[in-house]
Amino acid sequence: METDVTGGALEVELRQQTPIPLDCAFDCAPGELVALVGPSGSGKTTVLRCIAGLHRAQQGAIRCNGATWFDGQLSLPPQQRRVGFVFQNYSLLPHLSALDNVMLALGDVPPAERAATARNWLARVHLQGLDDRRPAQLSGGQQQRIALARALARAAGGGVLLMDEPFSAVDQVTRRKLREELARLRQELSIPIVLVTHDLDEARQLADRMVVLHRGQALQTGTPEDVLLRPVSPAVARLVGLSNLFAGTVGMDSGKPCLEWAGRRLAIAVPPGDTAAHDSCHHAPGSVVNWVIPPEGVLLHRPDRPSAGDAENPVTGTIIEALRMGSFTQLTLSIPGEPQPLVFQASSHTIMRNDLGPGRAASVTLLAGRIHLMPGD
Amino acid sequence: MDHPFFRSGKRWRVLFVAFLLLVAVSPAPTFAQTAKEPAAPHIAAAADLQFALPEIVTAFVRGGGAPLKLSFGSSGNFARQIVQGAPFELFLAADEGFVAQVIAAQRADGLGTHYATGRLALFLPRGSPIRADRDLVDFAAAVHDGRLKRLALANPEHAPYGRAAREVLEQRGLWLAVQDKLALGDNAAQAAQFAASGAAQAGLIPLSLALAPEMAKRGAFATLPESWHTPLRQTLVLVKGAGPTARAFAAFLRGPQAREILARNGFGLPAP
Amino acid sequence: MMDWSALTLSLQLAVMTTLLLLPLAVMLARPLAWVNFPGKGLIDALVTLPLLLPPTVLGFYLLGVFAPQGALGQAWLTLTGRSLVFSFDGLLLASLLVNIPFAVQPVQRAFEAIPREAREAAWCCGLSSWQTLWRVELPLAWPGLASAMVLTFVHTLGEFGVVLMVGGNLDGATRTLSIAIYDRVQAFDDSAAARMSLLLVLIAFVAVGSLHFLTRKVGRRGN
Repeated sequence: METDVTGGALEVELRQQTPIPLDCAFDCAPGELVALVGPSGSGKTTVLRCIAGLHRAQQGAIRCNGATWFDGQLSLPPQQRRVGFVFQNYSLLPHLSALDNVMLALGDVPPAERAATARNWLARVHLQGLDDRRPAQLSGGQQQRIALARALARAAGGGVLLMDEPFSAVDQVTRRKLREELARLRQELSIPIVLVTHDLDEARQLADRMVVLHRGQALQTGTPEDVLLRPVSPAVARLVGLSNLFAGTVGMDSGKPCLEWAGRRLAIAVPPGDTAAHDSCHHAPGSVVNWVIPPEGVLLHRPDRPSAGDAENPVTGTIIEALRMGSFTQLTLSIPGEPQPLVFQASSHTIMRNDLGPGRAASVTLLAGRIHLMPGD
Repeated sequence: MDHPFFRSGKRWRVLFVAFLLLVAVSPAPTFAQTAKEPAAPHIAAAADLQFALPEIVTAFVRGGGAPLKLSFGSSGNFARQIVQGAPFELFLAADEGFVAQVIAAQRADGLGTHYATGRLALFLPRGSPIRADRDLVDFAAAVHDGRLKRLALANPEHAPYGRAAREVLEQRGLWLAVQDKLALGDNAAQAAQFAASGAAQAGLIPLSLALAPEMAKRGAFATLPESWHTPLRQTLVLVKGAGPTARAFAAFLRGPQAREILARNGFGLPAP
Repeated sequence: MMDWSALTLSLQLAVMTTLLLLPLAVMLARPLAWVNFPGKGLIDALVTLPLLLPPTVLGFYLLGVFAPQGALGQAWLTLTGRSLVFSFDGLLLASLLVNIPFAVQPVQRAFEAIPREAREAAWCCGLSSWQTLWRVELPLAWPGLASAMVLTFVHTLGEFGVVLMVGGNLDGATRTLSIAIYDRVQAFDDSAAARMSLLLVLIAFVAVGSLHFLTRKVGRRGN
């Protein structure tokens, strides 16, 4: 009963103009989970379908475990690849039981062992005992687990697991449970996993690496931390939902590079060994740059409790909006000299104590270490 | 079997399909035909023989003849079918013209034989406002004063009785007047149906049909003078490839038993 | 009485037409449902054509082609030594052609209703096209197939105009039940006509009623 899951690396390279423009390349090592993120229409599902053999790109190459699946001339049909595909809406066959659905993927297992193997897979996704139920008798979360079991049964032994927004059709509680399930299973699986999602939290929680796609172009590939903290361009920053996107100029202050913005000089820091940030700092003085700072990098000055840290990159502005969201309040600050507002969070308690609200002035510190520079337009 | 179709537990589905196959391959009178010796021959008969012919066939079979299969219709239709290769062995037409067609198309075995003469009758269904008279006096009046709204007759194009009916109407100067009132039957029997149903106030149909009990109980009739139309010489001809039964029957039709039945059904008889 | 040979003939014609047409309908309906090939609109129109033409027009053209001088008639004669007109062979062929819309359209709708992803999932599971057809597509399309079978069966039973023109009215060979009824009416034998008509109605009724039985729950709504 072969249920160990091991495999070789996946290499993907795709280029086409029609029907959807594509230009991306990435690798996925066994045991690694790569997330494809991007808005709808960015081509991420198309990429997944190309890997599966359901769509044929105009040019490129797809290799898995040393075998060539696609190379511009040759394109193996899905049956000849080992692809476990989890569809967005499960795509379980309604006329087959849960067990039968999983057995569908076990065509190359000896017939006598099929049922037992399938039961094994269902047990691994914690669905034992539901073998004979039809999909219509099961909840969304259970159906997705069957789909996962079926995909794993197929991908086991040198294949890849492909997941197309697998958790978008279930409610949030189930989604959280399924993500945990996947995270657990991942520890046992050694096959490449490619996950398509538009949910950045999901990507952050599950992915080892992310590929940000926009209109078929891979704009940035890296760990979630890399992408979310150090986007390579304003486009990526916007796609991953970062606010606080501004323009500025690189200047010099006492021999050290600084950022001139809204009439101020902001100190910027480069932690040693942080190569990605290091690169972004290679901007010649005088060059126009885009820069971004995450909400966590903006700290509110507390008039009732001043601290030494207030001296770092202090900025004053007027509060436009104070949106209370539970124990945290999201503040939008208007900075003179800058058309875009600054968005950050502070504890609601602090806001109340200092009597801060729309129209009041407030000061913040922009942590030098969290300012990230990107090339100017 | 590992297929959901069967696993749904409904064994009857298997039985259902099996039943279908059984019916499909059960002895077909048609497919078996080509392998066996010749089955009962098909006889094409003009519709006016609808009642006389079955009687004659019964007499034939009782006298030791082999069974026959009868088809009734218009002579013209049968002539066309025979020319196209329809497997009839004997053609009993209501006149000579269509037999000539078959001979000309080289589908006949021998020449046609005139074995009886048909007569045309005016049939009036019960409740018709028209009176039956052999001189068509009241009929003509009905045409002009509007009592006749529909007249049933066989299609003159391919039914000899229809042709005869047209000749009669032309002869009486009524053909043009009844043009918009015609109910054409595909053959003489269908015309009789129209008339008997009361859908038409009158019908020009074969006497052999008007005489029959089924028709007689639905109305009255009058036999029309023979001189008013080209004689309806009932002609028979054997079709190429006719077998012994068909030939025997053709001969039987000219014999005394058949003649007696024909006479009783309103047919005139030529000299034997 | 009852014309048993006419009844047998009608049932055989209906059953054989249905059984032969079903695989043909599946082969035709699949590409029509899923592939956008050039000339698809034309094929679609041709499939629908027999539905729109009066039986006499169909009968006329078929007779022309089936006749000994016609293309098909000659071919058939050479192939089997049998005539295509005035024979069961001709009736069957005519019936197959005339029933194409009744067989293809329900099957096509049924295939169209199968989500593409169901088939894609099957392919990703390693099923070949043939296996996908047999284990996924046909079971899911079953109600459409059943519909097609019943419609074809009932329609063939009632077919009159085309049968009369192509087959003639040959007792035991081409006189189907519907023609036998016509024949009995013309012979003023109303009671036989009534008996056979009632039988035809009953058979049609049972056939249509069985459709509900046949398509009941292929596990779709869960037992």
